[in-house]
Amino acid sequence: MQHKGNEMKAIVSCKGITKVFGKGELAVHALRGIDLDIMEGDFATLAGPSGSGKTTLLNMIGALDHPTEGEVSVDGQSLSGMSKSALSDLRLEKVGFIFQAYNLVPVLSARENVEFVLRLAKVPAAERRSRADAALAEVGLKGMENRRPSALSGGQQQRVAIARALVGRPRIVLADEPTANLDSKTTAELVALMYRLNQESGITFLMGTHDPRVMAHSKRHIEMEDGKIISDTRS
Amino acid sequence: MESLKLLAPLAWRNLWRNPRRTVITLFVVSVGLWSILAMASFITAWGQSSRDATLRLLFAQGQIHAEGYLDNPNINRLMDPPDTALLAALNAPEISNWAARLELPAVVRSEYKTLPVTVVGVLPEAEIRISSIPQKLVEGRYLSGPEDDGAIIGLNLAKRLKTALGRRVILMITAQDGWLEERSFDVVGIYDADTAFEDTYIFTGRAAMQTMVGLGDEISQIAFEVPEDEALEGVIASLRAAAPAHDVRQWRKLSLIMGAMDASMAATVYVWMSVMMVMISIGVINTQLMAVFERIHEFGLLRALGLKPAHVLVLVTLESMLLIGLGVLIGMLAGAATVWGLAGGIDLSAFSQALEAFKSGEVLYLEIRPMDYVIFPLAIWLLGVWVALWPAWRAAKISPVEAMRHAT
Repeated sequence: MQHKGNEMKAIVSCKGITKVFGKGELAVHALRGIDLDIMEGDFATLAGPSGSGKTTLLNMIGALDHPTEGEVSVDGQSLSGMSKSALSDLRLEKVGFIFQAYNLVPVLSARENVEFVLRLAKVPAAERRSRADAALAEVGLKGMENRRPSALSGGQQQRVAIARALVGRPRIVLADEPTANLDSKTTAELVALMYRLNQESGITFLMGTHDPRVMAHSKRHIEMEDGKIISDTRS
Repeated sequence: MESLKLLAPLAWRNLWRNPRRTVITLFVVSVGLWSILAMASFITAWGQSSRDATLRLLFAQGQIHAEGYLDNPNINRLMDPPDTALLAALNAPEISNWAARLELPAVVRSEYKTLPVTVVGVLPEAEIRISSIPQKLVEGRYLSGPEDDGAIIGLNLAKRLKTALGRRVILMITAQDGWLEERSFDVVGIYDADTAFEDTYIFTGRAAMQTMVGLGDEISQIAFEVPEDEALEGVIASLRAAAPAHDVRQWRKLSLIMGAMDASMAATVYVWMSVMMVMISIGVINTQLMAVFERIHEFGLLRALGLKPAHVLVLVTLESMLLIGLGVLIGMLAGAATVWGLAGGIDLSAFSQALEAFKSGEVLYLEIRPMDYVIFPLAIWLLGVWVALWPAWRAAKISPVEAMRHAT
């Protein structure tokens, strides 16, 4: 662990985030004045019932959506007013995503899926390959680099997604229900993997989840309800 | 460039995610282009055949007349035989053959009927080189020389006059002195061309005709043959320079119907191309919209990973470029193979009666015109890519969050 007590730096800072979908009588308040800092090295879970605003908040933090009110900063950079292209660059450089469904590009091999973000970041070919293979080895997929997603199990695909999220050396990894479609054994393996990466490499994780097995590893537990944070505890 | 290296292989693989749809689109594009190229070759061959057949009868590629003759063809608007300057221009290498004629309106009379005709006095030696009439004789002989006062008449005219080979017909022509001169001519040959031509033209020796109407060596026209159509404009210009007092015209201006037919055949190809392009466009738009809507979730994922909207636009456009490009390539190969396969000629002799209406030869020889293989494929490729920009633009505009909500 690289944390140094009070010197921890906020990777993500949300101030007064409100998100309203629709207008007038049909308006849905998905987020209601969220204030939240995610600190460097956090292994945090975002829990709450369906519709509590977990995914919406992750989308705001991941620069996939913009708030109706308030401000989100990632690594000290405010997302307000940034162009779509600049937001793409920010996602590429600072954020890694792990989604609920495996979400790999089906026509690319495991290695090519992992390399994809490095190619977008214009990393030279030799370095790209070694980093992709190292990331796949890190998640236990050595020897499966050339397999396409259709030739991998669900757990293996999610491992590829984790490798892809990590290979760009992001400041934070956002995971939305990363174990939702996995069996118990695979879930346990993946949670252990992410926890190990957090412990050994200090990578910051913020995971939206219902899964108690994920929450059990969490060092910080944020509870949401009706678009608000109702508790934020560290263990 | 790095983006292109990333996106081009991805675009190529995306094409084959739904092989059946890709093959159907390739089929539409390639068959469309094949039909355009094959039709262009066929129409061109047909046009060429019709043109050659008609021009070989009498017109040739161009004619020289005295000024005003074509507006009012009569014995008072004749010209002298070519002088030294005009002879030099007529003997230029671009002109393969030429023939000086005396052509005048006349009336022909048999025991049964009197009909208006045009009599053409010819030099047989020159006509054999420039006109197909000597080869179209079905009975009798061709003229033996300029003094030969026999008459060569058309098959249908012979039927209408109820005359035959070896019988006599009376020709009446306005002479130099303004009086109507009449003389009997032996029918020495009967030719078989198209009906309208047969009803109009009677041929006899030029000197015999000049004598009949009281002329010296005056003529009414010089027909010239230019094998290369591209050289025709230059030849016309040099002849005009050599004979500035004369009326020099190419065949398109001599026979407006032939000129219009020639233009309409080219237009037919472009009309067909337009129809094919509309069909191809509908096919491409349909395919690409389906390909985009099926992958909305994936576009959202790619955008979430850092792909910019412009990259998505390029990706989908590349897919269209590759898909249509491949279809165009197949269409070009199929078009060329068809033309090569029919290089021996298409025998249309079974339709000879119908062909007479088009004045076409009975065997059409298709050939590849290189410009067709540049213009038509390029036009289809560019149009296909252009119409596919709309689906590509829609894909680029998708918001990552909205896209990720779509079911995979």
